[in-house]
Amino acid sequence: MASHADYKDRQFLAVIGDEDSVTGLLLAGIGHVTNPPDSQKNFLVVDNKTEASAIEAAFDSFTTQRKDIGIVLINQHVADKIRHRIDTYTAAFPTVLEIPSKEHPYDPEKDSVLRRVRRLFGE
Amino acid sequence: MEMDHDHHIDALLERYLHLLHEYTSLREQLSALQAGMYQDLARANFAAERGMRFGADQYDERMRASRRVSITPSSALDSDGDVPVRFAVFRAEDEDGDGGEGVEHTATGKEAHGETKDETQSSGHAGHATRRRRNDPLNWFGLLTPLPLRQAQDRSVRAVEYVIPRLAAVGGEMARLEIEVRRARKRRAKMGKAAAAAAAGLGSGGEEAKKKGEVVG
Repeated sequence: MASHADYKDRQFLAVIGDEDSVTGLLLAGIGHVTNPPDSQKNFLVVDNKTEASAIEAAFDSFTTQRKDIGIVLINQHVADKIRHRIDTYTAAFPTVLEIPSKEHPYDPEKDSVLRRVRRLFGE
Repeated sequence: MEMDHDHHIDALLERYLHLLHEYTSLREQLSALQAGMYQDLARANFAAERGMRFGADQYDERMRASRRVSITPSSALDSDGDVPVRFAVFRAEDEDGDGGEGVEHTATGKEAHGETKDETQSSGHAGHATRRRRNDPLNWFGLLTPLPLRQAQDRSVRAVEYVIPRLAAVGGEMARLEIEVRRARKRRAKMGKAAAAAAAGLGSGGEEAKKKGEVVG
């Protein structure tokens, strides 16, 4: 199980999503850009042209490389593009939450937590 | 003995189902808040000047997070143990994030409110309020931001401060319980096998004794 050291410095929320989702969440004040020269952002705006590899790279950065992210929010339709990565992600921190987007309402069938529930009850 | 295992697993599953219920209702709350936020953004964009869109083009590239996460063990005594953790999103006053306020969420359903949010109560907080305004993401979009954009911000703040940390805490506790249930089921299966093997051993032993008795007779 995770020790205190695994999460004590995790102070930011990160978001991967379409422009409206990211704008809405940044309005709440979660956006952060680290000091230069790195200038790492804790968000990625995804549009139709964004490659799955770029989404995967951002997801890896937020979940594996950076140690200051506590919760990763990702639009469910964006998570579908890297579903294999989401489903095989088992670390306790950061927590990954799939959120709905403007054009793709929340689908419980795709929710990784509810899929785990079904597995537990043998479906 | 097997009954004890059954009771233990039932108790774990009962708790798990309570958490599942909470998880689904939090999901509904989050969906409702986000749907409202998207509508507000659409209204703000609709009413904006021609060609203007509230989006990535206006983000401040030097932005600093004014709402941050705090993850702590739910009890100081349990700091290194296998325990649920507490997620809280608090408002950071400055770069170092001190003097925050917010609501903490554990998987046990308790909420601990921080400082009161009524800024108007104390006039001595004028400096804090100024800092907050300066760090307010609404400023990226100009001085006179439309009402729908401010409403979008309100909904987003509620989602980030109240729903998302609680969802994270409940999801984490559910994952922990899943592991515990599987372990308990394995233990019960092991016990069942051992009991069956012992019974089989006794049964075959009894038959042998019977055969011996017949031969002697």
